[in-house]
Amino acid sequence: MGSRSKKMPHLGAFFGKYSIYVIMVLLFLISALLNENFLSVANLTNIFRQISVTTILAFGETMLVISGMIDLASGAVLALAGVLSITVYKATGSLLIAFAVGIGVGVLLNMISGILVAYFKTPPFIATLAITMVARGFALLFTKGQNIYQIGKYIIFGQGSFLGIPIPIIFMALMFLLTWYLLRSTRFGRSLYAIGGNEEAAVASGIRVTNVKFIAYLINGVLVGLAGILLMSRVNAGLPNAAAGYEFEALTATIIGGTSFSGGIGTASGTIAGAFIVGFLNNIMNLLGVNSYVQQIVKGVIIALAVVFDIAAKNKRTKPKEIASVLESGSAEKLIDTK
Amino acid sequence: MRKKVMVLFLIVLMAFSVTLFAAGTKEASSDTKRVVYIARAQGDSFAAWLANAIKDEAKKYPTLTVDVMDGQASDDRVNTLIENSIINKYDLIILQANNGEAQTPYVEKVVAAGIPIILTNPRIPGIKGTNSVDADPYEQGAVNARIAVNQIPKNATVVVLNGPAGNMHSTARRKAWEAEFFAKRPDVKIGGEQIANWNKDEAMKYMEDWVQALPKIDAVVSMNDNMAAGAIEVIKGNPKFANLLVYGVDGTAEAALLIKEGLMTTTSFQNAFELARLNMKMANDILSGVQTDLVDTDIDCPLITKENVQDLIDAYIATGDLK
Repeated sequence: MGSRSKKMPHLGAFFGKYSIYVIMVLLFLISALLNENFLSVANLTNIFRQISVTTILAFGETMLVISGMIDLASGAVLALAGVLSITVYKATGSLLIAFAVGIGVGVLLNMISGILVAYFKTPPFIATLAITMVARGFALLFTKGQNIYQIGKYIIFGQGSFLGIPIPIIFMALMFLLTWYLLRSTRFGRSLYAIGGNEEAAVASGIRVTNVKFIAYLINGVLVGLAGILLMSRVNAGLPNAAAGYEFEALTATIIGGTSFSGGIGTASGTIAGAFIVGFLNNIMNLLGVNSYVQQIVKGVIIALAVVFDIAAKNKRTKPKEIASVLESGSAEKLIDTK
Repeated sequence: MRKKVMVLFLIVLMAFSVTLFAAGTKEASSDTKRVVYIARAQGDSFAAWLANAIKDEAKKYPTLTVDVMDGQASDDRVNTLIENSIINKYDLIILQANNGEAQTPYVEKVVAAGIPIILTNPRIPGIKGTNSVDADPYEQGAVNARIAVNQIPKNATVVVLNGPAGNMHSTARRKAWEAEFFAKRPDVKIGGEQIANWNKDEAMKYMEDWVQALPKIDAVVSMNDNMAAGAIEVIKGNPKFANLLVYGVDGTAEAALLIKEGLMTTTSFQNAFELARLNMKMANDILSGVQTDLVDTDIDCPLITKENVQDLIDAYIATGDLK
């Protein structure tokens, strides 16, 4: 009885802690069984490349959601950053300047979001919704609603490769490392968790909440600007209408990855696992030729199940701890039904 | 203090918005007639092209003022704009419907109010009292499908990219491909068919997956050029697809370049300039009393191939859309 009871909590704790990765691996294995092409290097490279833009956005959303904020404007700002970056490239011929402009536009729009949220205490949902309209409007106004073609060497960001690895994948990996490092190993990251967990307590403990929130939006701006450059170069055109709904795809990866909308919980590795889950799903359904309408239904169901499983696994992990803490407090009688 | 700053900021913002709006609105004199053009969605590149072309064409008619409204691809919004246009007593309405069925009752209100209306891209069949200028979406698909019958090899595998679900143009073009090609070529297999919502990036993702899933792809049948260009983006430079046939609709600048490079096979030109010219001419004729009968006009759907694409490219260079 002793050894058996020792094993069960370990397995439960494992699933509780790593549930989303378990789901990701299971989905990977099932996909590999369902279609022989799934495991090919070319297909897996495709998946990584296809999720790279929304995953980079998801890293920004993760940091924001952990601290109790959100960005609904990332798709529109991405589009504006991309078309302006391309326009500058066509005017100057300089990839470096164009890259800087793309990042700069992302940072500028998010600076405004940050000012509205951090300093004017505007609800992030409202502030970034407003920025969505502004950014999309500017993108359409600037381009008169038309796509920008003949972008020449600009495509290198989204279609080039380095040592055989597509550049978008390299950027995704770098942004994962950056996000992981910021969240795990910096005071800024710890502040994000503290603010998301309990903002008042964070203020009381001396965290400069306003500054941290503002900086979170600035970092998000870098990620959004980068995503815009990568997307436009990948599609070989400046598309002012592009990326509509990308913020929701990013949020989907974030939430599936275990980031909590109530704040204080989330990790970069969870987010990338969430992105892979969505990427595997999309890919295997396309490989199997599943109808568009059915794909939407299946995606919705699997995403809901993945989140429910993750929450249930986390709750199971928490319950034994609660019981243990009650026992330690000497209030064991609370566990006994005295009626 | 922060609240006062916020209030001041909001007042300035409101004043700014009102000023911008006033600056954007032209005041009509008693000699000019007011026309409103309700665009389906100025965020859609073709609809934006048409809206821009109408604005440019309107400059040729000094007795007309044209206001352009954006339906934002929403039936509800388009219907609201129609109602507002009736209330604002426009002299003529040009409507690019988002959904013919959804807009029908509101178009009937316009007719009942005695306001002349031109339906364009698309016309809505079956409504009395309307004029129309359109390009037949069935024919747009059919001109490509008819030539594809002889071009696509025997026992080919094709992939199909569709526009948004329920979109009339996409549906009509797809019907044309069904009747003019697939019905005549039962040997051809559809390896994959998805909705890419007119979007290049969505089409790219589907094509990337199809390249992995299918042993061969001989042709891409796309309901617009944007999606066709997305599919081409995936396979360009890949010798395995050197003979891939790709068909689209619209005749965009990008498609023209792709046809010239030999990467795209054909497209049918949906000439927004011609649509705009005919719409504004009709509006002027109606409001000046020259046209008294109801008129339905169609523009051609010329097939653009490698042989005639240079004319289209030259036209785009002349308008500055290409260099």
